[in-house]
Order: sequence, then C-alpha cells, then structure tokens
Amino acid sequence: MHNDETIWACLGENGFCSFKVRWKEPKQDFCRNPYNVNGLCNKMSCPLANSQYATIIEEEGINYLYMKTVERAHSPKNLWERVKLSRNFLQALEQISKHLEFWPDRVINRCKQRLTKMRQMLIRMRKLSLKGGTKLVPIKKKTEKREATRELKAESAAKVDLAIERELLERLKQGTYGDIYNFPKKNFDSVMEKEDEEQELQDEDESDMEFVEDLGEDDEEWEDIDNKVEEVEVEGDLGMNDLEEVSLPARKKRRGKVEVEYEHEIDTR
Amino acid sequence: MATARPVVSIYNFENPSEKTGTMPMPVVLQSPLRPDLVREVHRDMAKNKRQAYAVKPKAGYDTAAESWCTGRAVARIPRAPGGGTHRAGQAAFGNQARGGGMFNPTTIWRRWHRRVNVTKKRHAVACALAASALPPLVMARGHKINQVAELPLVVSDGIQSLTKTKQAKEALKKLGCGEELQKVIDSKSIRAGQGKARNRRYVKRLGPLVIYNEDNGITRAMRNIPGVECAHVDRLNLLRLAPGGSFGRFVIFTEGAFKKLSDIYGTLKSGAPKKKGYTLPRAAMANADLARIINSTEVQSVLRPKMERYTHGIKRNALKSKELMEELNPGSTERRAVQLKSSQKGTPEYDEVQKKKKARIEESKKYNKEHKKGDETFYKTLMKAFEAKAAADAAKKAAEKADDEEDEE
Repeated sequence: MHNDETIWACLGENGFCSFKVRWKEPKQDFCRNPYNVNGLCNKMSCPLANSQYATIIEEEGINYLYMKTVERAHSPKNLWERVKLSRNFLQALEQISKHLEFWPDRVINRCKQRLTKMRQMLIRMRKLSLKGGTKLVPIKKKTEKREATRELKAESAAKVDLAIERELLERLKQGTYGDIYNFPKKNFDSVMEKEDEEQELQDEDESDMEFVEDLGEDDEEWEDIDNKVEEVEVEGDLGMNDLEEVSLPARKKRRGKVEVEYEHEIDTR
Repeated sequence: MATARPVVSIYNFENPSEKTGTMPMPVVLQSPLRPDLVREVHRDMAKNKRQAYAVKPKAGYDTAAESWCTGRAVARIPRAPGGGTHRAGQAAFGNQARGGGMFNPTTIWRRWHRRVNVTKKRHAVACALAASALPPLVMARGHKINQVAELPLVVSDGIQSLTKTKQAKEALKKLGCGEELQKVIDSKSIRAGQGKARNRRYVKRLGPLVIYNEDNGITRAMRNIPGVECAHVDRLNLLRLAPGGSFGRFVIFTEGAFKKLSDIYGTLKSGAPKKKGYTLPRAAMANADLARIINSTEVQSVLRPKMERYTHGIKRNALKSKELMEELNPGSTERRAVQLKSSQKGTPEYDEVQKKKKARIEESKKYNKEHKKGDETFYKTLMKAFEAKAAADAAKKAAEKADDEEDEE
C-alpha cells in the first residue's frame, strides 16, 4: 500500500514529481532533489521512492554521508542521519563502507563515486579561486555607442587646446618658468649685437673663417641644443614675456659668427 | 516496504517540540493510492464551478442580408441591403465576412458541468487523504516539509481557538511550516494572461491545508496567511485536497478532526458510519511489492527449477576449423596427416598406398580375364539362354501350327 513500488508508480515515468526534469533530446529524466545521488530520475536513484537511501552531500567544503531508513520515513524532520566524512579520501571511503556495511553493494558504490566527484569539484574550485579569475563583463552595445558619442562631444566642448594655452600663459605670467623662452625681437637683437661685437674682437686674428653654412656641422651641433639654451640663459638677462612658439629656438653658436635663426610659428596640432 | 503505522503522535500547538499524546491511525489514511482516479474525479469536479460564456445568439445575423445571386459579378455571399452607407452591399453572415458571425458559435447550452458518482468522489477523497499522509508524495507535489516533525501532522485542539493571525502564523512556524509559508510568499507574481484584468491578478503557490473540527476562530486566524486554507473535516473538498489533480497536499489536522476521520470513514469491515452505504476502497493487491512477492519462499518453493538455456556460441564451420572437425570427427586430423604424407614419395604411407593400388589393379585384371573374356562371359551366357529359349518357342509354334492343320483336315 505505502511501499516503494506504489510510490514510484505515482512519481515515476508516467506520474508527477516536482523534482523531475524531462529532456526530450536526448531522452533523459533528471532529478532536482538535493538528496539524489546521481541526479537521474529512475527508481534506483529516487530519494523519495526508496525508503532506504544514502547520499553524499557537500556543505562548505565538508562532505557528509546522509542516510535514511524506513523507521524514520514518517518524520521528515528526523529523516536524514548524517555523518561527517574525513578529509582524508581513503579514510572517508572506509567510513562509507563502515556505515553502509550491510547495505546493498550498489548503494555503497554510488556513494563512493559521488564522494570522488565531490572532492574533484572542490579541488577544482580551490584551483579556480587561486587563479583569481577574470570577471566577464558584458559589453552593452547601446551604452558603449552612447558613451562614445558623448565623449567626442565633451571633448570638442572642452576646447582643450585653448585651456592649455590659457594655463601656460598664466604660469608664464606668474613666473613659474623663470626667465626663459620668447623674448621680444628688438631686445633679443640688441643683446645679440652686443655679443657679436665681443666675438669679433676675439676672433679677428683667425682668417680661415668659413662664412658659409656648413650643413655637416649642423647635425653635430643639434645634439647640444639643451646646453646652448642654458648658455643663453646665463648670458641673457632680458625680460621676455610673450610666448609665441612652443619649440625651442634653434640657435647655433659657431666659431666667430653667431648665426641667429628666427623661429617660425608652427602649428601644434 | 509497507509503512502503515499503527499510531500517530499529537503535537502541542503551543510547544510543538512536545507531544501531548497519540492516536490510532485512521483506516482512511491507508487507502490505496490511485492517482488516475483522483485526476479523473478532479477533472470533472473542477468543471462544476464554471460559468457559461457564449457569443450573442444573434451575433453576426442581425442584418437583413440576402445573397445577390449570380449575374452581378460578385461573390454569392449574402450582402447587406439598402444604400447610402458603407455597410450596404458588404458581405454579411459568414464567418469569413467582416462583421459576420463566427463559425460554430459558442453556446450557453454547452454541457458545463459533470456529474461524478458519489462513491467515486468519496474514493478520490479517501485516496487524496492517504496521499497527504505520505512524506514522499507531499514532497513530490512540491511542498517544503523538511522541518515538519511528522506526517500526518496532528496538532492539539487548542489551535482551533486561535483568533489572531499573528498567533496562527507563529504556531505554524513552530510546527515547521516556515519554509512552506515562505515559499508561498516568494511565489506571488502577476498572472500571465487576461485573468489579471479580470480580478485574478495575482497567482501564488498553495501552502498547507488545515483541517479542523470546531471553528473557534481558526478560520479567521488563518484566513490572511498567504497560502493557508482551512477545511472542516465533515466537508472535505477534493479540489483542496488534490489541487490541480495531483494528490499529496500538505495537510495539518487538529486532534478533533483526526479523531473524526475514523468516525466518518470507519474501517473496511464496518463501512463508513457517516456515509451511508459507503465502504472505503479496497486495494487490488494487499501487498504491491512485486519484487518481495516473487522472491518470497512461498513462491520460490513452488517454482520448477530454472531451465538451462543452451546458449549457442558463435557458429563455427567444421570445414574451416580443424579443432571443431576433430571434435566432431575424431581422427580426422590424423587421417588428413596420413593423406598428406601418402602423396609424398618415399614415405611408408606412400608405399602402402601404391601397394594397395597395385593389388587392386591386379584383382581387376584377374577378374576381367575370368569374366570378361572367353565364352563364358555374362553377355554370351545370356544370349545363349535367350537363343535357346527363342528356338524352343519357335519349335513350339511350328508344332502347334501342324496340329491346327491336322485338325482342319
């Protein structure tokens, strides 16, 4: 009347069970009952249709052997008896054999297989957590598109170049750069003339002067631009205020002749 | 394994961890499980609360439409008469026509209700009650009863006097129904379909059914708890005991109600005292555990011994398999070896064969000489005899002829 057979008849293939999940392709029934040993829906594995049943359940990394017997079948609260299994695999297997000593072989084997599976799963979980794992974040096309357009608009609205210009001018006015960079042409020329006079006085004796631009030498002298600039700093004590270019003055100091090159406005874009 | 318990514990509704007593298990709860019966009866019973729906009787036919017949270069479907509006000349009446009636209009005289045999209904209720007493079936139906102390769950009568919903909820939670009640609350959702606009907006799962004997406030206390339903023992409804046609509803009995079950349904022998002429259903098999029956000593002792089936292995061909040939015809390998050897010159077997051959030929020659040459051959003797006989016959004939001539003279 209330035996396993009749219960399976009510639940099984042609019956209804809320834990049953039916797959049509391939044809397979699964069981969502947490106490099921192998997750399949058949008479042997149904935890509801077998009054004597055993499983392995894992809770927070610890495996427990759960057993139920006929004697407690009427009391759902006290139905499952559980045994904590050793962390040592071999010992755990022995525990299972001991507790299920007089149970059918198949039940014991299934429990041991499940234990193995559980342990493998735990190992895998630990390995994965060590790796850190990349978190997958989905790309939302709509959002991305929207944000990209907004970025462009914001960029053009901000007028970055103008802001930079303004900022640099401010700094120059405040004097954070000291006395470098652009000087008004007149003052610069006047200083240069003074220097020329000095130079000429020094180099009058030398007659082997080359007054023509020597392109070869240019390359060498380019390397010491920074040094030259420093020299100029030391010499020139002319308050230069206007900033018109960003690039350094290309100034070469030659033997006997000071060639001054004027900077051209270069587009910074 | 049959688990028909003799006795059920009663739990104190205020302190469910203590049991106030025990009660014998009513025979109803041991009725045979018949899911097919319950489904069938439920199906029919569920039809009885239906309200008729139909289209208007005149729907689509409330025009004086007539067919224009042939000759007008239009289809022959009836058309609305008159003029001056769009409607004039438009098709009418047919299910294919716009504004026409439907095919096979729904009618109010459809057979909405079904009558079910009283005994059948009673059997179904008994079966549903029995199912509610089995934890596997209740779990399979979807109820969360993992914290419930016992099934069937019988609570002391005090619960019938509860008046406050809060108290009732507390009591149920203490009895282990907390998970079940939570499941109901979590399951509330808006109905799919038109029902949501027809005052059936929300759907939720069903919770426990509390069966009481005396209503001293319990119905009103339990009324507002989502999922909980109450029923009086005397008036048990299959539609509540097996909602959707699936038995195994989670049922909570009060002490009085549980006792009354025995009073109402009685036993198989006595019949049901409160249901005239009714006896509880009898199982087709007293013990349905087939495996147990077949393997029992009573059955096994009477069976004849198991037949030894001759299992044929793979058929082997003796002409190809020397081993098999030897099995079937012992000495065949030896003979074959001798045969092989006898064709090799120089071996004694060869000489033996040749000797025999010679002897045979000699014999034959001798015989031929004797019987096939000379005058005493078979053929010659045969012919001699024949000629002798022929001569004798001829002589006889001549003699007869001579006699005849003599007679004539």
